Amino acid sequence: MKKNKSMFLSFILSMCLTVPVWAQDAASTAQPASTQAPAAEQQAQTAQVSDTKAPAPQEAAKPETVTIQIDKTSLNNGGEITVTGKAPAGKPVYIEVWSADKKVKANFFDSKPDKETGKIPYILYLTEDMPAYYKIFAPKEMKDKIAEVKKEGKKWSFSDALKKTGADAAYSVPAQIKIDRYKATILASIIGSRGELLPPMDAKENSKRSMQLLKSRFRSVDKLLGADVDIKPDGTFTAKLKIREGLAPGNYKVVAAVDKKLRSEPATFENIITFPNMYFSNAGASLNLIWPFLLTLVISIFGVLMGAGGGFILNPILISLFPIPHPVVAGTVMPTVLFAQASGIANYSKIKFINWKLGIAIGIAMLVGGFIGPKLTELITLDQFKFLFGWVLIILSGLMVWQTTPGYLAKNKKEQAILKEFKKRAEEAAKAKA
Amino acid sequence: MKVEFWGQEFEANLVVGCIGGFLIAIMSSMFGFGGGPFMVPLMTVAMRLPMYIVVGSSLLAIFFNTLMGSVRHYQFGNFDLWLFLVMFPAAILGGYIGPKIAKKVNPLIVKRVASAGLLILALNLLGVF
Repeated sequence: MKKNKSMFLSFILSMCLTVPVWAQDAASTAQPASTQAPAAEQQAQTAQVSDTKAPAPQEAAKPETVTIQIDKTSLNNGGEITVTGKAPAGKPVYIEVWSADKKVKANFFDSKPDKETGKIPYILYLTEDMPAYYKIFAPKEMKDKIAEVKKEGKKWSFSDALKKTGADAAYSVPAQIKIDRYKATILASIIGSRGELLPPMDAKENSKRSMQLLKSRFRSVDKLLGADVDIKPDGTFTAKLKIREGLAPGNYKVVAAVDKKLRSEPATFENIITFPNMYFSNAGASLNLIWPFLLTLVISIFGVLMGAGGGFILNPILISLFPIPHPVVAGTVMPTVLFAQASGIANYSKIKFINWKLGIAIGIAMLVGGFIGPKLTELITLDQFKFLFGWVLIILSGLMVWQTTPGYLAKNKKEQAILKEFKKRAEEAAKAKA
Repeated sequence: MKVEFWGQEFEANLVVGCIGGFLIAIMSSMFGFGGGPFMVPLMTVAMRLPMYIVVGSSLLAIFFNTLMGSVRHYQFGNFDLWLFLVMFPAAILGGYIGPKIAKKVNPLIVKRVASAGLLILALNLLGVF
């Protein structure tokens, strides 16, 4: 019952959230292009704060600074980069790395009852300013803590993880992104208007929500947290940072931090993506173009053979193989069949094989359904998406088995014979006219 | 509703058709697939219409849904142009090659293989393995 209720509510919400998102999409397309040129020349990677000769443990009275150097200025679709530097002795060092040029969209729908009041907030948090890559590298000693977080499974919380590893002291860049939040009311949803845009949050709240958004966007602990910084007793540290394949191109910034105030100047490196790899801005990932092409080809051939659109197989595989968010997969695969459908309709209508009255009557019901569906895709998490899709596929698989049973085949044979007969007559009639 | 098709009249139960179509449309636009394999059984089994009236008309109905779903996904910024440009030619090419192979294979075996494959995929999505 509870599930039903929440499904219903998300259905209602979907109605009222559509307008603002549309408006925002228009805004996002106007995002400024990246500023790439100067960074390449910024090759002196020693980004320093004032005094380099860092204080020995005893001279703690000196103004404390953090310095870092990185060994490379550019990476070719990911790779390893070594960060070295010096921080005040005895302090943990956290390295924040983020994509400075590319931004992605992230949303998070808060439908969990408040712990104190028990009220369900139903607030949608949405940002267009999320860095396409963000990760905090913690000291090596934190490995166990991160393993602990992973044990929580899918329900892990990024803010807890930050607290556990002490990385909340270094967490700064995403905390400042602009987050919009919308509160949906039932009345608004009935008239189909937008949810109410709530006033901006204070810095603390913004920071907290940005953590939830990061989690909803990047999902796994490993993508957001690592334990790779090796700190010596004298305060020098080294870290081999693995930057994975398939990330956004452009400049990345690296900052070492001890706490909120004591941060190094950013060092910059560039991630270069070259053909046949390409950056998909809405997906927020770089992919080798050949794979989606081959995959689509093979699956659409198979789709023709089994008599079901390729989307049933293509979407789950795309989601599992590539780091593309599920709404983008659904939204991009769907239009690929438009052309095939339109040409099918054209062919059938030539031989007058479409009952327009029937098709349009049901079509209008489907039009309404098609209006609602895409909004729901955004409101559900990837895990819910996978769960529902799994059941859809089980039903489909059942339908296919049913289509191979003797009873169905016998009936189908008759129907197909009539179908052929009708087609023949229709084609002849069409010819006779012409 | 009375439906006339090639000189024959059928009684189509639109209530069933529209509710079913609506639900299938939500599902298919949500997950981004066509929906034909669900619409055809709905119209043949639940609405008791003969196959030859269903093939063309269900395609028309689904087209409405795909068009609307695509527009809505685009509005929400869930459409990636480059990914589309990569997949679209592949889908067209597949549409040409597919029917040629289809003549040479036993549809029964394909269906059985497909249903097994779908089941495996489904269990994978559900996290069974």
